[in-house]
Amino acid sequence: MTAASDEGAAAGGAAGPAPDPDEAQRAIEYCYDQGWSDGLPLVPASKPLLDAFLATTDKDPDEIIGSLEQVGRDVDVRTAAINAAMAGCKPEYFPVVLAAFEALMRERAARGGGFQSTSGPAPLIVVNGPIRKELGFNTAGGAFGPGFRPNMTIPRAIGLIVRNAFGVHPHVLEQATQGVPGRWNICIAENEEESPWEPFAENGGVTGGVSAVSATLTRTMEFVDNRHTPNPEDVLRDFQDTIGRIGSLIFPQTSVALVLCPEHAQMFAAAGLAKADVQNWLIERSGRLGREFRVMGKENVARPGFQGEYEGDEAFHKILSGPKQIPVIVAGAKNAAISMVVRIFGEWSGTAVPVVEKK
Amino acid sequence: MPNAILDPTGSVTSKVAKAAAPRAHRPASLNGIRVGLLINTKQNARPFLEEVGRLLEEKYGVTLTKRTKVNFAVPEPENVIKELVADNDVVITGVGDCGSCSAAAAADGVVLESAGVPVAAIITDSFIPTADAMAALRGAPGYKYATTAHPVAVLTEDKVRERAAQVLGDVVALLTDPGDARA
Repeated sequence: MTAASDEGAAAGGAAGPAPDPDEAQRAIEYCYDQGWSDGLPLVPASKPLLDAFLATTDKDPDEIIGSLEQVGRDVDVRTAAINAAMAGCKPEYFPVVLAAFEALMRERAARGGGFQSTSGPAPLIVVNGPIRKELGFNTAGGAFGPGFRPNMTIPRAIGLIVRNAFGVHPHVLEQATQGVPGRWNICIAENEEESPWEPFAENGGVTGGVSAVSATLTRTMEFVDNRHTPNPEDVLRDFQDTIGRIGSLIFPQTSVALVLCPEHAQMFAAAGLAKADVQNWLIERSGRLGREFRVMGKENVARPGFQGEYEGDEAFHKILSGPKQIPVIVAGAKNAAISMVVRIFGEWSGTAVPVVEKK
Repeated sequence: MPNAILDPTGSVTSKVAKAAAPRAHRPASLNGIRVGLLINTKQNARPFLEEVGRLLEEKYGVTLTKRTKVNFAVPEPENVIKELVADNDVVITGVGDCGSCSAAAAADGVVLESAGVPVAAIITDSFIPTADAMAALRGAPGYKYATTAHPVAVLTEDKVRERAAQVLGDVVALLTDPGDARA
């Protein structure tokens, strides 16, 4: 499938003879030459394509939708639309891009130094509601991609906005030491159909099955493969162990998202556990003894807070301070009991932003 | 007539010339003046700047004030800048040893200079490109700051003091050299 075969008409192009590949290549190279690309080919955006994007929202094209104060740059709706078009989004994805960008820019970590940081964090975007099916998001296997246009192009649009509209370029204002694989590729559509619990957007304040997007920054993720035990507590202990890994801990408190596969989520639910029960079980137990931090030169982590003192070798140091530090999402296929522990960069407010389509 | 390919960088790329941020007037010497330390909370920033301050006290009889950055990753808010200007004759800030905090140190420097306070920002040599880019964004291309070798966070107390002593000459020059410090 190619963009041209099904999208030319929507973009204002006429359905007609096959497009000219040589001309398309020239346009792609032109975009590279301008320094606009993240390394992959861009869809060259034209006025008719931009108009198709702008037609999906009631927002004024001049409305400022985000600012990176420290670099003195703003993003308006028009610029966001051009970047979304270049990322390969369809026009009808644009309300989701706007919601994702708003959700991300509500996060202190993103407005602060996140995009410039040596840790090179990646946006983690979570989509809920009927928009998932309407736009053809992948809600099942391979939740972290690739293979599905909305899941891949929407986070890429965010990356292009950061690069082009905020002017945060690698090796200059962007100082990632190594960065995160798939840095601009992570967009999960929650598997609401196979989740035993309320949609994630409800935890972020958007109820009633309204389509909504939540977003944060993540530093990495690690799988927990536990498909052999019938005992939910064994599985929780497995999560506890992975969450408590010291390598990723630098502060007294941390924050992780649990992206549970349907099988793990259903196992917990069948044992009578609500999301909050899973969270509380792990909040109570995730952490290490002081000496386990000390032998790695990280006794500064084992403090009650930034101002506190080292709690001692035998004190158990909890690393999650509350449910906000461990949001729970259900994603992926119900074909194996494999889940992901996602390391949050900073803290996730968890706020969900409704997707607003043109009335 | 084919359609033009649209520019995704937004209106800012019209490269509207930013007003050049003026450089503050320098004192002839640091003798007896008020020196503010703006500490960015990165590991070893405090002992590093405190040692620089101590050496200046010893050598020039300066009066020190200290404050911690509100958020190491971004430039200081306006009210803090006002207080820094009111309380100090010159300011030393750092240590810019991460992606956002090195850029923020350069930005704080440029803003304080515009408000009339000479600044010596200390940044590690890994972050020169990002500090330069930020200074240019703030209207001060070629803004000068002091550098020390990366990393600073892992240095022992003795090594931190050694580094502070090494950078002292550059700090004094940045704060007193009357010439246009921009290349």
